[in-house]
Amino acid sequence: MKTKFKRKDLIGWLVMLPTLILFTFYVWEPLIENIRLSLFKTIRYETKEFVGLANYARVLKNPDFMAAFKNTFSYTFWSLAIGFLVPIVLGILISETVYLKGLFRTGIYFPNIVPGIATIWIWNYFFTPGPTGVLNILLGKLGIEPSVWLNNPKWTIPLIIITMTWKSAGSTALIYMANISGISPDLYEAATIDGATIWERIRYITLPNVFGLAKTLLILQIISVFQILYEPMILKNGGPNNASISLMMLQYRYAFRDSDYSGGAALSVMICIILIILSGIYMCLTKKKEND
Amino acid sequence: MFFKKYNEKKDGVIRGYDVRSTSVKIACIIIMLICLLIVLCSVFPVVWVFLASFKDIREFNREVTIIPSSFDLSKLQDTWQQFKFIKYYRNSLIAVAGSIVCAVIFNGLLAYVIAILKPKGYKIIWMLVMWSLLIPSITNIVSLYRNINILGLNGTFIPLWFAYGANAFYVVLFKEFFEEIPGELLEAARLDGAGVLRVFTSIILPLSRPIIMVVAIFAMTAAWSDFLLPYLTLKGTQFETVMVKLFAFKDTPTDAVSVLRACMFAIVPPTIIFAIFQKQITDGASAGAIKG
Amino acid sequence: MRMKKVFSTLLATTMIATMVTGCGSDADTSTNSTDDTKQDVEQTAEQEDGEEVSSDSGEEEVTITLGIWPEDTLTEDIAMHEGFVEKMKELYPNVTCEPSYYKYSTDTFMPMVEAGTVPTIFESWFTEPKKLIKNEAVADITDELEARGWLDKMNPSIKELLSDEKGRVYGIPRDGYALGLMLNVELFEEAGLVDDDGYPIYPKTWDELAETAKTIKEKTGSAGFCLLAKDGAGGWHFSNIAWGFGATLTTDNGDGTYTAHLDSDEAIKAMEYVKSLRWDYDVLTADPTNEDWGTGFMQLGTGGAAMYIAANDAVNQPTQVNGLPVEKLAMCPIPAGPSGQYSLYGGTPYFFSKDATSAEINAALDYLEIMGKAPVATEDAIAGMEADAQNKASEGVPVLKRFPCWAAQDVLDAEAQVVEKYGNVDPKMFQSYFDAAAGDGLRLEEPGKTQKMYDELTKVLQEVVTNQDADVAALMKTANDNYQTILDSDEE
Repeated sequence: MKTKFKRKDLIGWLVMLPTLILFTFYVWEPLIENIRLSLFKTIRYETKEFVGLANYARVLKNPDFMAAFKNTFSYTFWSLAIGFLVPIVLGILISETVYLKGLFRTGIYFPNIVPGIATIWIWNYFFTPGPTGVLNILLGKLGIEPSVWLNNPKWTIPLIIITMTWKSAGSTALIYMANISGISPDLYEAATIDGATIWERIRYITLPNVFGLAKTLLILQIISVFQILYEPMILKNGGPNNASISLMMLQYRYAFRDSDYSGGAALSVMICIILIILSGIYMCLTKKKEND
Repeated sequence: MFFKKYNEKKDGVIRGYDVRSTSVKIACIIIMLICLLIVLCSVFPVVWVFLASFKDIREFNREVTIIPSSFDLSKLQDTWQQFKFIKYYRNSLIAVAGSIVCAVIFNGLLAYVIAILKPKGYKIIWMLVMWSLLIPSITNIVSLYRNINILGLNGTFIPLWFAYGANAFYVVLFKEFFEEIPGELLEAARLDGAGVLRVFTSIILPLSRPIIMVVAIFAMTAAWSDFLLPYLTLKGTQFETVMVKLFAFKDTPTDAVSVLRACMFAIVPPTIIFAIFQKQITDGASAGAIKG
Repeated sequence: MRMKKVFSTLLATTMIATMVTGCGSDADTSTNSTDDTKQDVEQTAEQEDGEEVSSDSGEEEVTITLGIWPEDTLTEDIAMHEGFVEKMKELYPNVTCEPSYYKYSTDTFMPMVEAGTVPTIFESWFTEPKKLIKNEAVADITDELEARGWLDKMNPSIKELLSDEKGRVYGIPRDGYALGLMLNVELFEEAGLVDDDGYPIYPKTWDELAETAKTIKEKTGSAGFCLLAKDGAGGWHFSNIAWGFGATLTTDNGDGTYTAHLDSDEAIKAMEYVKSLRWDYDVLTADPTNEDWGTGFMQLGTGGAAMYIAANDAVNQPTQVNGLPVEKLAMCPIPAGPSGQYSLYGGTPYFFSKDATSAEINAALDYLEIMGKAPVATEDAIAGMEADAQNKASEGVPVLKRFPCWAAQDVLDAEAQVVEKYGNVDPKMFQSYFDAAAGDGLRLEEPGKTQKMYDELTKVLQEVVTNQDADVAALMKTANDNYQTILDSDEE
């Protein structure tokens, strides 16, 4: 009995071994290797001498670091203000239609299949300041003065978030729709008998029902927005005057522009620490959910 | 007439009996219109790319119009040939195909072990996988890139393919699905003397078509749009993918119209796939992620 | 470190000298700085011209990737290179050439080194050798050059620029350039800014540039001047303006440290001037923060902007790449500021992949010979120069003389003849530019961590062109502090 038990374990481990090797190669080992690299002076990937936390000090002293740090949180904030709410509203609205529902579902999901880089190039031309920018052409038809869009540093980050929301809101909305259609109609009907208006039904039935899902999606969204990289890179190269540079972009510059891998690794460890803190919050929230 | 169909409405806050009052009727129509507007917003940027591709560069830079002055397909053809775009399509196709296979097999096997075989210590692995969900490998790109170099996998598709074999999100999707498979089926197979892998291939996989479809579609979209790892490993080789080309426009002097035409070329294949499988894709997107 | 300054002056003077007088000196160059290379000495002795050397590398199969291949869209240039490849096959049947267009950029290069995907031969900038050599990212080609006898033909100061402290050489020059102002003559005509003979009336000072640009904007609707503010190229262009206003942006303290002067009154005035171009004159393109080296040429070539800071080695960009008719391009010097007229000069070196074997490097050098870009004037080389000029002429690219960087009289003569033969532009359209380039206003790029300085300046440029209320003095102070921090840290 005992040997059989062991054999079964062994087979189990053997079956997942290939995948575990891949996870080690792509995810777990790099995490640890980053910590090692960040503590050494390097020429390309060769580690030369142990320098302790000097690389961290160097990164913190980089004139662009504070801007990147603040911006990254600003991205997160705006993505909560815009990117988080839009899909919920979309989901609720489309759930209330009976005609063309298929078209709406397909339509809002469509941007999600457009590759991210292509999306950014397209929006790049939408946001062109001056009369030939697409948005300015459209506004011009309504008689509105052209705007400078991304060149107004106050608007750079929110507009980038809008671009990202354009791409992802539809697919998230579909998840909410599935969740909403899972709410039993009896609940609404009982509420109606109690005299609840439509608004009250949304407030007291729909929203509480999607709350659990929203919580999970929220933290996942924070984590993904935290790693924003190519959007500001292609759109404004981090500008104007660092208004859109992000931590990941700074890491990319360290590693792949200046081939300063130890600096890049140090920054990456810092990003990971922040992500772990955020993830810890997520774990707490999901635990609570399971206990409910 | 128009509102009759609302009586058959199965989900959502507004119930058939609400639709008797005028204000709710108006609300329903407004919601319809808003949804139409949203779909328009979702689709317009892509439609615009198609239109703008027909402009020449002077027209693009100087005319304040949306509709091009002529629809001359030979312009697209010229750009296609100039860029030798067929090469990028071929490379992307190879990258996508391998990624799908890896995504399904490796993540499927790990999920199979975690959900069904459950060997001793599997919980540790599950925990590690959950954490990986929260710290995507892109954060550690500096060290991941080092790993790829050490094994000399640069300039090949191998690192791209296997990257999809270590995706925590897909593991979660598979695991949730496998847990729903009735235990009796597996028990019966085991009593018939089927080995561990045999159970996987002859029972689990055939039953898991829907989730395989979902993961395959996710992997396909992701691999087609993926740029950072392909850019770092394939740039400058004959294996550059469509996205590598698009990303490289950032530092290569290219006129706006050529960039947009290339974007269009990048959008067409996923659009065709989407047109064919739209139902599976939208269903999968909502069903797949609901448990995430 | 003070040596660098000496070298830059030296480089400037030799370049001017060779340009003006056309006299090279290959006899007296005894700069045999490579004492540590003992091998191949006899070989060098017998190989005066050196062009037969490479075939000695035996019948071994060699494959080289050519980063100097033209980009995909330049079909005629590709055809020309295909001709060179044919010639290669004929002369060196053991060599296979693979095209692999690569435009050097700091963003993409190091990953390619790690990946081992760097082409055997590629072009870079004169600002890069120090970093590339330090990171062991390019091949040491001293022995190969020595064997061909090219070391002594290389302009000594350029050689210094492409060498490490031990005198090992890592690259060879393609040509030099000096920045000037490129003009879209069509827009000048449209705005009525041409003299009786139809030549554009170009601005001689920065103030005139602002006025000229304003006239163009009013008369044609196009931007008068294309300012770059997307990436480091913005700061690179700005340093020309700053010099004209009397600024020196960085000083070399001679002990390995540098002092930044981005917040000097002169530099601030220069930045104020740029700001006025946006807000007082409003003559820039719609979005300078989206303009980089390439889009600038696009603006100039497609009539989006009338004036653009650029160099003679990029005349194919507005014309061939962006469709400006060859007779509609003119060049004039960078305008003068209150403190005189200065233009930045630099050059394009060829480098070789660190993974290239000696045989591969030799094959790539052979290819350069066939292209006519090497210091040899063999029949094949002249044929290569002619093919190049002919192709330029038929593609509507101005055929202009190069800034010489090899001290080899026969090559210079051959080149001059080819330019004469295929000349397709009115020399007067470029006269003032070449005159200025032969003057004493040439300056090398600022010392120190120059690319980082450009980044800092570009950030200020972005702010002043997007924010009307920008406080230039404060911004320049911040940029100066930031740059000084970078200069003082060991960050590269």
